[in-house]
Amino acid sequence: MEVEKGKTAKYLRDKREVSQDLKDNLKIFNKIKKEILEALKEGDLTIDQLTQKLNIPKHEVVYYLMSLIKYGFVQTGEVDDMDEYFSYKLKK
Amino acid sequence: MKIEQEKNISFDALVVGGGIAGGEAALNLANTGFKVLLIEKDLSLGGKMIMLSKVFPTLDCAACITTPKVSEIARHSNITIYTSSEVSSISKIAKDNFEAIVIKKPRYVVIEDCTACQLCEEACPISVSDQYQYNMVGRKAAFIPFSIANPKAAAIDIDNCILCGACEKVCPTNCIDFTQETEEYRVSIKTVILATGFKLFDPVLIPRYGYGVYKNVITSMQMERELAPTRPFNTVLRPGDGKVPDKIAYVLCTGSRDATIGNPICSQICCMYSIKQSQLLMGALPMADVTIYYINIRSFGKGFEEFYQQAKGMGVNFVKGKIGKITETEKGNLILRYEDINEGIVKEEEHDMVILSVGALPNQDASKLFKGEELQLDQHKFIYQSDLLGSPSKTSIEGVFVAGTASGPMDIPDSILSAGSASSEAISYLIQNK
Ligand SMILES: Cc1cc2nc3c(=O)[nH]c(=O)nc-3n(C[C@H](O)[C@H](O)[C@H](O)COP(=O)(O)OP(=O)(O)OC[C@H]3O[C@@H](n4cnc5c(N)ncnc54)[C@H](O)[C@@H]3O)c2cc1C
Ligand code: SF4
Repeated sequence: MEVEKGKTAKYLRDKREVSQDLKDNLKIFNKIKKEILEALKEGDLTIDQLTQKLNIPKHEVVYYLMSLIKYGFVQTGEVDDMDEYFSYKLKK
Repeated sequence: MKIEQEKNISFDALVVGGGIAGGEAALNLANTGFKVLLIEKDLSLGGKMIMLSKVFPTLDCAACITTPKVSEIARHSNITIYTSSEVSSISKIAKDNFEAIVIKKPRYVVIEDCTACQLCEEACPISVSDQYQYNMVGRKAAFIPFSIANPKAAAIDIDNCILCGACEKVCPTNCIDFTQETEEYRVSIKTVILATGFKLFDPVLIPRYGYGVYKNVITSMQMERELAPTRPFNTVLRPGDGKVPDKIAYVLCTGSRDATIGNPICSQICCMYSIKQSQLLMGALPMADVTIYYINIRSFGKGFEEFYQQAKGMGVNFVKGKIGKITETEKGNLILRYEDINEGIVKEEEHDMVILSVGALPNQDASKLFKGEELQLDQHKFIYQSDLLGSPSKTSIEGVFVAGTASGPMDIPDSILSAGSASSEAISYLIQNK
């Protein structure tokens, strides 16, 4: 049977099960993404400030924040007076 | 795994591995009129070189050298390229004839129809670690491997895909195709070049360095990415807290010259790439201190000693010292406890980022390919060169040649020279057996 172009995901969905782990990971990503974007709505924040607001380790904040920059949601702001830490802001 | 109907094809040469060595060998064969099938297991050609920042000893931009070369290979009418593919077996069926079974995994994207518009990436809800950025940032399940990938086309990471269909809904050319299946090819060839490259040492195997536990201890490949134009962060940052580092340490010979972890030999490239990175870091972070902890500096190649002296002149600090242990402070800094080899005493020094200069290990993939003939490995498990001085690309099987780091650690110029040797041996073999 010919599967219509542009609608082929359903074809594989019928043959292949999507694991619960994948669904859970998606939920975690969406939750952290939402929390970071909400926090940045109130103004520019450093990674340290974001870590205080989010309940996850600092290196995870770096990872998710950098991913959100890559996906076009966040951008890098100013660096502090010591040239050590940047602040981050929502991409307009 | 359903395998589509087997297909029969024939070529003069099979090149296994599409890094710089395999690519160069394929190009030389193709330019002399031979038909080549190039098999690459990754989604893109280019091997490790395409992921580098700049290259020693000239500090040329790696992408500027690799990209034109890779596109010349990809465009050549005598070269057929299968990415996401592997050879499952090679049998010698006559004196000058081999038969290989090639397995091509589905990319779920019709490469020719993809315009790399990235709309699928935008639409895909999934975020997983980006292996091409050595896990320092995320990527989508529908993704273009990296900006200078060749082929520059999207791929679906099916193991992380939830099959929501968002990518194919937005795709303007309908190039996403979840009905693709694994394909199997039976290939007839006259000669084989093995260019399967090397593997990087995994520093988790040396727990006293804390890699994976201390987030500001990274590998040299991760630092290559941090220094590349297509880097994961906006500048060089500590992955632990996003701080711009200012006191950086390199630990040379991580996983090399160390019998306790099973690799007693020198990796030949780590001294020089660390010296290269130290110079790039001094350029990117002019206020930073960079210290290289070494056992011996091996600057044996053309222009290498001058490159080493140049780094010293720029202020890079070289300490002849053996690292015993790394510990982490509360602020995420690292204390290196080391034996100062010149003074014979144990010292400690605090740094805010540590780069482990990981060594090159053999990729033993090729040894399992041959049926009926034995592809010999040397004592360190690299492909054995049966006539090292006379014909360095010959292997233990007649008609099978080795190119690049598949035969031992080497840098890019030597990998290209080795590919030149392998392709000329293969060409003369093809002509003699006409
Ligand atoms: C951190 C770092 C920095 C470096 N910097 C420099 C530098 O500045 N200058 C320099 O000269 N050198 C540098 N090098 C060394 C350089 O990377 C190597 O010399 C070069 O990549 C070797 O090329 P290759 O083609 O032999 O191997 P690889 O680059 O390893 O390519 C092998 C290819 O074969 C593919 N492959 C493997 N197994 C299979 C299989 N079974 N089937 C199909 N395909 C397969 C792989 O996916 C890969 O594409 C550096 C290395 C590292 C690790
Ligand atoms: S079908 Fe898979 S790859 Fe496509 S958007 Fe959904 S999760 Fe991403």
